Formats: sequence, C-alpha cells, structure tokens
Amino acid sequence: MTAAIVTGAGGAIGRAIARRFARDGRPVLLVDRAEPVAAVRDELRDAGAIAEACVVDLADPSAPHVVREQADALGGAAVLVNNAGITRDARAVEMSTEDFRLVVRVNLVAALRLSETLALHLGDGGAIVNVASRAALGNFGQANYVAAKSALIGATRALALTHAPRIRVNAVAPGLVDTPMTRAMPAPVLEKLVARVPAGRAAEPDEIAGVVAFLCSTDASYVTGQVVLACGGRSLAG
Amino acid sequence: MTVLFEPRAGLGIDELEDELARAFECLRRAVLDGYSVVVALDDTDVQGVRGVASAALAHGLLGLVRAFALEGRKQGWRVSAVSSTADTDVTERVAWTEQLADSRHAGGTLVRLGGQHLGRVAT
Repeated sequence: MTAAIVTGAGGAIGRAIARRFARDGRPVLLVDRAEPVAAVRDELRDAGAIAEACVVDLADPSAPHVVREQADALGGAAVLVNNAGITRDARAVEMSTEDFRLVVRVNLVAALRLSETLALHLGDGGAIVNVASRAALGNFGQANYVAAKSALIGATRALALTHAPRIRVNAVAPGLVDTPMTRAMPAPVLEKLVARVPAGRAAEPDEIAGVVAFLCSTDASYVTGQVVLACGGRSLAG
Repeated sequence: MTVLFEPRAGLGIDELEDELARAFECLRRAVLDGYSVVVALDDTDVQGVRGVASAALAHGLLGLVRAFALEGRKQGWRVSAVSSTADTDVTERVAWTEQLADSRHAGGTLVRLGGQHLGRVAT
C-alpha cells in the first residue's frame, strides 16, 4: 500500500488520522512544524507501522517540495490529508489584520500549495482530504477561520473537478472535537458549546479519523468534491 | 449607504491572502461606519468551475459574509452577497443588490442569479 501524507500530524486529530492509516497498513508521512511529531512517528513505529516525520513550516512556500521529496523517499504517496490548522480568535472589530492573514496563510494557502504540488505526483486512484470545519457555516469571533475554512471547501470542489477522474478530492468538516485545546476551555464555556450539539458531546478525534479513512478508501471510490459535516448535528441546530 | 465589494478576477493561490485580507478590512470598515455591504460574485466561481483559486476566493468571501452577519446580528450589520452569471440581466442584478443592502433580515444570505447553480450542490 502506498503512503499517506498527514499534515498537522502532531495535533490530536492529525495523530488520530495517522494512527488510523497505520492501523490499516498504510505507511505514513507525518508533517508538522514542531518536533513533537517525532514522538508520533516513534509511537507508530513501535506499533509496527512504517512512519516518517517531516518537520517543516507549511507556511513557507518551499514546504511542498520538502514534503514531496520525503514522500518520494517513502516510495510515493497516494493520499494527502490537509489537516494542519491554527486559530487566532477575536471579534471581527478587534481582530488584527496580521492574525487574519496568518490564519488564511496556514489554513488555506498552505493546503492549496501542497495540494497543487502533490496532486500531480499522487498515484492514480489517489485521494486528497481537506480537513475543513463546521465553522465554515459561520462562527462568532472567528472571521479569519470561517473565511479560511469556507475557502477550503470551495477549493475542494474545484480541485475535485480539476483532477478528476485520476484523483478524488473531498473534505470533512468537524464540529466540536475533544482535544487538549477543547479541554483547556473554562467548564461553563465548554458546557455551553456541548449543549448546542444534538449528539450531546464532542467528537473523539478517532471519529473524525474514521470519516477521513472512509473518504480515502475504495468504499468512497465514487465520491468526489463533497463535504462531510462530522459535527454531531450541530450544523442543523443550536 | 452601501459598499459593493467585487473581488479582483484571475488571481492565483499566492494572491488569496492579500485579497481576503483586503475584503476583511473593507467589510470591517464598512460595518463600523454604518454602511451595508453586498459582496458581488461570479456564480461560476461559487460553483468552482473556473479554477481552484477563484473558487477558494469566492467561498472565502462567502465565509466572511456569514461571519460578519453572525457577529453583527445584534448591532444590525447588513452584510450579504449576490452571485450572477455572464448572461444575468444587469438591471436585475442591481435590483437584487439594492434589495439585499436595504434588508434588515438578509444578513449572511447569498442570492444566486442565472440559474446555472440549479441541479448542483448548494453552497
């Protein structure tokens, strides 16, 4: 099985996606800007998987070529998961233009540069999954994040049309996910957020990884240009 | 008073950050000054049939429209969008733009003119 490239692999969702691919027998290239991604690599190797770490700042325009070289060293890749993302929340009237730009640069531009560079090198039958967000539908205090994730969804459709039929491109849009960042929220704030989710809880990172794995699998071989809202029904109510 | 924001056409991926930041600053200044904002889009970009950067820009702007409309609901910010195709009647496009700008209840709405979106995925 050819490799999967997972960006933001040092974070909770990225790690879950990488673990899922490894469990399915796929070699994994773990991409992140920080060294802790090496710990994820070691964990996967200890479990018997083939895994490599690629420490690079995806906001750097040369990053896609670094990732491509490392993927080639793994024998090439068939799957790319654009999961890397950051937040810089503030009310729109108080948000700095630099924070707006940074979130767009990392969450959108870096993902598109990587997709455009790697799409031509993914094997036939390959798949790209963009990790967007339910927030693309609108969220208070996240004008930068909403714009970037909404743009990523639009780009997903265009990428799907551009690279069909050779490569499928889809997106998953998670809602509230149980991560260290979520757990660090003040309890009343978190309770309020959970109360708006019809499922009555945050998602486990593994539940998002499961959707990503499905979209990359042959079970989804006729699915392209689509967005799966994995938000516990939050997009319908709340 | 209304601000009509039209994105620059034909941009590449490396120009998205600048254009979205320009839109962000424009929308913020407009709502703080009490203006309505209508973002004018080409519907082919909303559909995603004219390239990756164009689609990303159109949907990024729609995200901004939703974010500002949601955040300014209580303050009465009027931010919405209209998309049209090359064969859309100009008079009709202007009429819809004016109606969106005047409406207190159309915040975050995209009105799609031209009919090319029918049978395709919604935004």
